[in-house]
Amino acid sequence: MISWQVLLNLTLNTLALASLLAMLTMGLTLIFGILRIMNFAHGAIYMFGAYCGISAAALLGTFWVGLLVAPFAAGLLGCIFEFTLLRRLYRRDGGSFLLITFGLSLVLSESIRLIWGPNTRDVELPEILSGVLWIGDEPYPAYRIFLILWGILVLLALTYVFLRTRLGLLIRAIAQNAEMTQALGIDVGLMRSLTFAVGCAFAGLGGYLAVPLITGYIGMGGAAIIDSFVIVMIGGMGSLFGSVAGSVLVALTQTFGNFYLPELALVATYLLMIGVLLYRPGGLFGEQD
Amino acid sequence: MKYAVPVVALLLSAPFFLPGFHVTLLTEILIFALFAMSLDVQVGYARMFSFGHAAPYGVGAYVAAFALVVGKLPLPIAILIAVVAVFILSIPIGWLCTRASGVAFAMLTLAFAQLAFAVAFKWNAVTGGSDGISGLIRNPGPWGFAGLESRDGYYWLTVTLVVGTAWLASRFVRSPMGTAIVAVRENEKRAIAIGYEPRQLRLAAFVISNTGAGLAGALHAGFLLFVSPELLHWTLSGYVLVAVVLGGSGTLIGPMIGAALMVIGGHQLSAIATSWPLFMGLLFMIVVVVAPNGLWGIKSSISNALALRKASRLEMNHVAS
Repeated sequence: MISWQVLLNLTLNTLALASLLAMLTMGLTLIFGILRIMNFAHGAIYMFGAYCGISAAALLGTFWVGLLVAPFAAGLLGCIFEFTLLRRLYRRDGGSFLLITFGLSLVLSESIRLIWGPNTRDVELPEILSGVLWIGDEPYPAYRIFLILWGILVLLALTYVFLRTRLGLLIRAIAQNAEMTQALGIDVGLMRSLTFAVGCAFAGLGGYLAVPLITGYIGMGGAAIIDSFVIVMIGGMGSLFGSVAGSVLVALTQTFGNFYLPELALVATYLLMIGVLLYRPGGLFGEQD
Repeated sequence: MKYAVPVVALLLSAPFFLPGFHVTLLTEILIFALFAMSLDVQVGYARMFSFGHAAPYGVGAYVAAFALVVGKLPLPIAILIAVVAVFILSIPIGWLCTRASGVAFAMLTLAFAQLAFAVAFKWNAVTGGSDGISGLIRNPGPWGFAGLESRDGYYWLTVTLVVGTAWLASRFVRSPMGTAIVAVRENEKRAIAIGYEPRQLRLAAFVISNTGAGLAGALHAGFLLFVSPELLHWTLSGYVLVAVVLGGSGTLIGPMIGAALMVIGGHQLSAIATSWPLFMGLLFMIVVVVAPNGLWGIKSSISNALALRKASRLEMNHVAS
């Protein structure tokens, strides 16, 4: 018999996880939609952001500073990377990007291991987030509620920027036709750097916010990139809405799978993906060939 | 290819003049080289980037391990079964993956490999979970393959199979089907207009490439006499792709050289530099940017760049005058 409390608990867990995954994949999708780069280093940058945030929080003794440092550090790294390397490759095909970002992910993961060492790292939550909230008579970790609210906030903000502002209009224009946008007098190069930086910043923030749930470990980037690729395949490459929907579906599968069929949970995500792709090869909200 | 005969002769005679641990190292290099070469049939000739080539490799290794441990079958039979199993399995997976192309294809292969990893990791009862399967023996069987049990015997088996596969692969890429695959890579629309079917050709490249990796995996199982889920982990897929690109994709020999460099580097440099992967990653990034044809194709990369520069200078002069 399934009690409603268990169900509510699992639903909230799903939403908290979905919010983390969405932050990660929205960055990936943003970059892909505009630069046509599938950023293999996204997971490593996520890990980089997380570790920078952890260190900053430990140094200054407050969790909140990490929320600024993590996206800033990851965004800066992404910006440097775009500026020094990716720029040279825009005339080549998509495969080169896959390779160069994969190379970066190797270098970055190894550098993080060298700088921070192989041990796991944690971050201390402030009092307001470390407690529990009472939902009815059930205690529920406050941090997860914070994640859900945060995720909704980011989603709304992004939707607003994308659909209602001039910046969003420019971004969509570049995604549609970069040459034409350039001809209209927009600095496409700058916009590309900014987009890449913002996408990476989302990854870094997602990484830092994930730490209280999963603790920081070497290899968290690898796990994250696989998850986000699966989500992107399910939702459809380049679709922001698809990446949110995919995040919810994957979070749902993983949370409920872990509870009811722990043996199969790891496999269930991939089965979900294969099922979706059999039904729609381009993903749920992607362009269909 | 003019060096093929002396190289093979050198390889075959290696156990007579090399110390034992070098023969072991050479076996490892050859297996990884076969793995890389098989991936290149897909990456270099069909331009299908796979981030999941550990899947056929690992599956081949696991099937061979099952045949050796559970079936108590002779080693050659175990290898044969592994190759056939990977061949059959890669047809439906290839059919699914080739529905997508480009980046989506790469992600799909990665996800399938992760699926295989998850199964090997979680299905304790059958695969031994994270402990893997140990206690493999190179069962010689009743047909007098006893020589395979020894280190040198296994080395000779490996050389024979690797050289044989390389020869078959070189025949394949120059066959009508191989050139058709290259035609699709170069200009898909034109290839369709001529009457080729890109999807079928891609599937063929996928299956052949995976089967080669399955053989490499089976040899790996027989070599180390141990299999574990690490063989299916995506980092291995990444490493073999690095070997291909480092050595030079689009040639069969380049990836083998890349693979040799990586195995030797991993063994020798790890003693000196604690962070061989970092060094390798940097080298890889430089190669991707500066020499897209890899180390083996570095000459053509340089001459291409020079020709391009010369051409643009001529054009400038032309405009100026």
